[in-house]
Amino acid sequence: MGLKGYIHDIVEAVVTTAKGMRITARYGVDPKEEVTLQYPEERWEIPQGYRGFLHNDIKACTSCTMCVKVCPVDCISLEAVRGADKKMVLASYDIDIGRCMYCGLCVEVCPPKSLKHTSGYEMASVSRGELVLHFVPEDAAEIKARVARQVAEAAAKAAEAAKAAEAAKAAEGSAEPPKPAAGPPEPPPATEKKE
Amino acid sequence: MESLALSLVKSFPALSAAPMWAVSLALMVTAGVVVLVFALTFEGVGSLVLRKVAGDIQARIGPNRVGPNGILQFLADGVKLVLKEDLIPEKADRFLFKLAPYLVFVGSFAAFVVVPFGVGLSPADLNIGVYYVMAVTSLVVIGVMLAGWASNNKWALLGGMRAAAQIVSYEIPVGMALIPAVLVAGSLSLQDIVRSQGGLLGLFGWNLFHNPFTFFSFILYFTAAQAETNQTPFDLPEAESELVSGYNVEYSGIRFGLFFLAEFGDMFIVAALATACFLGGWNVPFFNAALLPPLWGNLLSLGVFLAKAFLMVLVMMWVRWTLPRLRVDQLMRMSWKYLVPLTFVNLLGVSLWLLLFRGKGIPQMIASVFG
Amino acid sequence: MTIRPEALPTQEMTINMGPQHPSTHGVLRVILTTDGEVVVRAVPDVGYLHRALEKIGERVTYAQFMPFTDRLDYLAAMNCNCAWAWAVEKLAKIEVPERAEYLRVIVCELNRISSHLIAFGSFTADMGAFTPFLYAIREREKVNDLFEMICGNRLTYNYARIGGVSGDAPPGFLEKTREFLDYFEPKLDEYNNLISYNKIFVHRLANVAAIPGPEAVAYGLTGPNLRGSGVRFDLRKDEPYSVYPKLDFNVCVGTGERGKLGDCFDRYMVRINEMRESVRIVRQALEQIPEGPVLAKVPRVFKPPVGEVYFRSECPRGETGIYLISDGSTNSSRLKIRTGSFVTMNIFEKVTRGLMIADIVAVIGSFDIILPEIDR
Repeated sequence: MGLKGYIHDIVEAVVTTAKGMRITARYGVDPKEEVTLQYPEERWEIPQGYRGFLHNDIKACTSCTMCVKVCPVDCISLEAVRGADKKMVLASYDIDIGRCMYCGLCVEVCPPKSLKHTSGYEMASVSRGELVLHFVPEDAAEIKARVARQVAEAAAKAAEAAKAAEAAKAAEGSAEPPKPAAGPPEPPPATEKKE
Repeated sequence: MESLALSLVKSFPALSAAPMWAVSLALMVTAGVVVLVFALTFEGVGSLVLRKVAGDIQARIGPNRVGPNGILQFLADGVKLVLKEDLIPEKADRFLFKLAPYLVFVGSFAAFVVVPFGVGLSPADLNIGVYYVMAVTSLVVIGVMLAGWASNNKWALLGGMRAAAQIVSYEIPVGMALIPAVLVAGSLSLQDIVRSQGGLLGLFGWNLFHNPFTFFSFILYFTAAQAETNQTPFDLPEAESELVSGYNVEYSGIRFGLFFLAEFGDMFIVAALATACFLGGWNVPFFNAALLPPLWGNLLSLGVFLAKAFLMVLVMMWVRWTLPRLRVDQLMRMSWKYLVPLTFVNLLGVSLWLLLFRGKGIPQMIASVFG
Repeated sequence: MTIRPEALPTQEMTINMGPQHPSTHGVLRVILTTDGEVVVRAVPDVGYLHRALEKIGERVTYAQFMPFTDRLDYLAAMNCNCAWAWAVEKLAKIEVPERAEYLRVIVCELNRISSHLIAFGSFTADMGAFTPFLYAIREREKVNDLFEMICGNRLTYNYARIGGVSGDAPPGFLEKTREFLDYFEPKLDEYNNLISYNKIFVHRLANVAAIPGPEAVAYGLTGPNLRGSGVRFDLRKDEPYSVYPKLDFNVCVGTGERGKLGDCFDRYMVRINEMRESVRIVRQALEQIPEGPVLAKVPRVFKPPVGEVYFRSECPRGETGIYLISDGSTNSSRLKIRTGSFVTMNIFEKVTRGLMIADIVAVIGSFDIILPEIDR
């Protein structure tokens, strides 16, 4: 390295340092360059379609379990029983948001569009159990019991109605051969449990 | 100190009853306490300013939660440091481990003693002031090495070794770059050096403008001194992205705090020496502070000195947040291949200049042309 | 710079660098044998972040694996999403609507910019300059804002779908993207002035860990690490997929402008220049993007035909190859993912011999490794 290279090195070092320092000085002096968002006080605008916490509108939910099947991390658990009117009744619908990875697959497949992402993203809890969101406010066992009761009542009613009809029929035309007493008993309420 | 004690005894006859040594001792302790309080305050505020400057440069805000606009952040930091658990690694050399932070802090703090804060405001105006600063600041290297060794941690050891090589290497260019100021003033005392820059409106008498060589020696000093005190971009002993935190990696609590304070103390010492030797010290531009009534003159010159020194500190922070870090062999090369030869050439230049022009600087010559 | 260890015989020391070291970009552990500051041997020890992604891929359905590809390389999740989608589409021979392909290219290139920004920022932070890192983060936030707009998340996007993308670009997205490009392009010159050509920075990188082209090929380096060695190989050009053939862009290669060809500085500059090319690609894609649907008709219970497929695409950290064997069921029967970072670790021990400890950090930074890619 000759003297020329030596001096060139020094000059280059000074010039490139000065260039860099000019840029940092501009940022240092210009208050408009601050981009910090003072988070708890200021918030950014959450766009449409933001994938925040999940929310299930249980009135619209048909308990089809599509969301349960599609969830890659199995964070949704759903219990449903078949009600008296043959429709599924939600006994419990829990989402473990500690496990959820907010991929949005469940929202995409939901047929009645009852499961949606909200714009919520803030939550704190001291235990993992608190991270499970319960969407059905009542106790699952209570609902099941109630539905079972309703189903039993409906079955009893149906049976009575059938009996009455039978009796009426029997009274109407005794010539006809008697039918078997009643239909097969109502099947026990179907319980679907998916974890 | 003795003269001050004498004048104090004279002005307050009540003190004459006390023995002379007692008055001197009391004065010394007072001066020490005042300087310590100043140093600690500076170091605290310095850490806050450093973070604020970093925030500004990096397009963010910096600390703004503790107190209005975050100005009490340094108190919160200090309280945190004091309250933290003081951990000593099991296999560390306990005695040396405890000793090291004090050595580092003392080395940095002792240099405050000769800083010429204002007209007649030096804790001690030693006639070997520059030499003294050089001597005590290199004491830091022992502390840093001890810390690195005693921690019984390989990263810390590497940091300590780097620090030893670095500080010793950079002593030479730092000393050589300061000598031009000594030559111009003809004295090693920092007060004398400042006084010698007083003429010509208190601005053009500065050594910075004396001749081209002194200008270069200012730049060389500033560069070398940053390296000697381990400031970024020369912070290899504590390079956090390589050595995690270097020599102080095992320290916590107040012991770490002492390292931290020493770093900012060093920063101020570098700025203060640059101010005193090249930027006219406490000389007020376009005004002679010595003409004011004693107290006001002292205060004004103190303010001017601090303003200049803080400006230099700001420049150091600015450099810190701009440049990347050198590698250890490049650092050595920079010292021995660039700074040392350059400072020697520079010293030669200054000496020849003083010889040829009988100690006159360029502003002086211009002034003499215009009468 | 290389220092001969035999010049100063001293006792060797073994240091553990990582897995909790600030400059190993995650949980990489490097076992250093050093002679003072000189590294005699640096052996990377990988596996601290292994999550068995490939096994998971065999247990979940093809569509369900999409969110897991986000975790393959979290700094370039879009690229991994699209790579998976392209692989499965190649397997099942699905025609993807053209608009979806353009949207994929736009988000992939945007993600390449944001990933290279992190590479640039963390590399400069490793070199001791912290300020460029924050500038890079600031720009990346804007890309994240765009992604949040189009897919709803900021880090794990899960945007691609088998047969298209999850949703069309919302109104204003394309304009905002254009705005971002106009804002971003001048910033690259600013970075170059601020740090790229800074004397200290150049000195730290030039001539460090130079990899000659043939050696890079022999060790299987891909992506910017390969191109840094002067090998002009880019899957987007050489094995074109999606709509890349319709777009005009250059392949950036290292030129050895500040030292030996293939040193850390070349790898660094390739990334900086690639960001500029990505801006060009996105601009063209924004011009050419047609109207139309964004998702092809794919049966809900998706069962690709029996067969196997290997699809590779150019991700920011090199080639991401996906090897799939389908047995005709809803899950793949075998999945293997080849990632750029993992292959790069092979050459690590070789190039770091005789460097200094600070250079190890530079080498890790210049390879731009990311641990989830190494361990999967």
